[in-house]
Amino acid sequence: MSTLLKQHPELAASITYNPVVVDFLQNSLTDGLLYWNLLLPTESWVNAAFWQTLGYSPDQVPADPAAWRACIDPTDLATAWQRAEVCAQDPSQDFDLVLQGTYREGSPAWLRCRGVVLRGDGGSASWLVGALFDVTKEKHKEAYAQEVATHYSSILSNQSVYILKTDPQGNYTYVNDFFYERFGWEHDLIGTSSLLSIVEEDRPKCLEVVMQCFQAPEVPHQVILRKPYRDGSIKSNHWEFKGILGEGGELKEILCVGYDVTLLLENLQRAQHLLDVTSQQNLRLQNFAYIISHNIRSHSANLTSLVQLLSEAKGKEQKTMFLQMLTTSTEQLADTIVNLNDIVTINNNVSKPKALRTLKTEIDKTLEALSVLIRQHHITVEVAVPPALTVTVVPAYLDSILLNLISNAVKYRALDRPAFIRLHAQATPGGVGLTVQDNGLGIDVVRYRLKLFGMYKTFHDNEDARGVGLFITKNQVEAMQGTIAVDSEVGVGSTFTIQFHENP
Amino acid sequence: MKTPKLAYVVEDDRITAVITEFIVKKDLRYRAVQTFGNGQLAFNQLQEVVRTGGSIPDLILLDLNMPQMDGWEFLDAFGTLPLAQEEVRVFILTSSIQPTDIEKSTHYKEVKGYFSKPLGKVNVQRMKSLLWEASD
Repeated sequence: MSTLLKQHPELAASITYNPVVVDFLQNSLTDGLLYWNLLLPTESWVNAAFWQTLGYSPDQVPADPAAWRACIDPTDLATAWQRAEVCAQDPSQDFDLVLQGTYREGSPAWLRCRGVVLRGDGGSASWLVGALFDVTKEKHKEAYAQEVATHYSSILSNQSVYILKTDPQGNYTYVNDFFYERFGWEHDLIGTSSLLSIVEEDRPKCLEVVMQCFQAPEVPHQVILRKPYRDGSIKSNHWEFKGILGEGGELKEILCVGYDVTLLLENLQRAQHLLDVTSQQNLRLQNFAYIISHNIRSHSANLTSLVQLLSEAKGKEQKTMFLQMLTTSTEQLADTIVNLNDIVTINNNVSKPKALRTLKTEIDKTLEALSVLIRQHHITVEVAVPPALTVTVVPAYLDSILLNLISNAVKYRALDRPAFIRLHAQATPGGVGLTVQDNGLGIDVVRYRLKLFGMYKTFHDNEDARGVGLFITKNQVEAMQGTIAVDSEVGVGSTFTIQFHENP
Repeated sequence: MKTPKLAYVVEDDRITAVITEFIVKKDLRYRAVQTFGNGQLAFNQLQEVVRTGGSIPDLILLDLNMPQMDGWEFLDAFGTLPLAQEEVRVFILTSSIQPTDIEKSTHYKEVKGYFSKPLGKVNVQRMKSLLWEASD
């Protein structure tokens, strides 16, 4: 029996019931026992188990009964004393708190202390008996869990990742801060339909993925959806939806994790556009390479043959004829090179500077340049172009396009009926549309559809047709990102429609 | 070898047509050569001689790139004519070097040869042997 209990037989009597039980309670069940005289705070005692818990061997236990106080944080000790006093006053109060102490090797120890107030016969509190339990491991776990939680919550709130959950009906049940920040406006989203925040066109796509979550739960399903951002812009987000099952195997909720891919998609679109432009350019270049080789080759073939024939020519007459043909051939070669140069220039100047031009003014200028021919052939010209309508063009190309189309209309006018040329232009959603209509000879568009804008293609028995006009026109229109189309019928006339593309 | 009688030169370039006519007469020993500025003119003439029983050419030198009716269209139209096909041999004579053209020409059974301009000694020699083989 301990010294303390010897000194206080009434205490010993009150707790000594069965020595085996007492020993079990004191030394085995708990990590230490504490006795505290409520009438005399300096009088206190701990058992050997306390010291063992803190890492002391039996021979190292301090002699002073109150030495345990030095192992406990003074603040905690004061708190414990205050609590003991409260419990002494009010029997309904529990004594249960955690004291921070120090292991012998110096690291912190947490001891949970559950106490009971012993009362004398008169009901007056005399002693506090505390059972101590080492909860240091639990404290560490708790601290670790706390740290982990803080760590993840910091990740969740600092990353540009949206995390949300919805119930099987698609109503928000959880939304992270980042999502709120970007899409939450000032409302509480919980309980509202997640579908409503998605742009309307993308809603069927969203529903389809939700259906997949029902059909194949517990696996991620991916989708890109657009949502209006709070500044009004539309953001594309990549989402991973996962159906989470409840205990009964039914779909309990849908977990959605998403991130912004707007920039990525924009870059992708830019890259795709660049690829389209490049492929188109490449196709044109290849086509052009064949045209060049074809045109140069046909002249060079003639020159080779003529030189051969000339060297073998019999008689002066033959020599003169071949020489004359040689001269013509070299002249044609020179012309071809000039034509090809025109086309190379167009193809090489995709980014030629554009300028704003008043379409009506440019048309009037072209008509003025052709006025002698127009008057000579009694052609009626109608211009329905708003005077203020402007186009952003490479000025030299616009001049060339207008000259080509209008002079073609003059050249291929109808001879058996009064000829007219109608020019009409108007603003369209993408830019400006211009039509040049005539009632001339017309072209069999069904037959010549593929060749119409090809090089060295002529469609009438016209001596001065070179077959480069429409080819150059098409190249110039396309170099300005525009389009050109034709509608025509033999004996009725032709209508060329040009769409000038206005860059935003 | 059969005596060459009549050759058509279907060619829009006047100078090339004159040169070809000259060589066909001189080297392939054709006595009669008719030139046509495009496929349509040649086809019209063929239709006419088929109808009236006139003189059918035994050789057609055909250019590919021509206005109005090009070489391919001419071949398509030619296939519809009621002619014993072996009678008329078609040689394509073009400055085209598009690989697709050579490939495409193999799909026309009337086409017995594909020649790149100019019509020099090597080409003439090949034509001669093809004409000789064909009528062997």
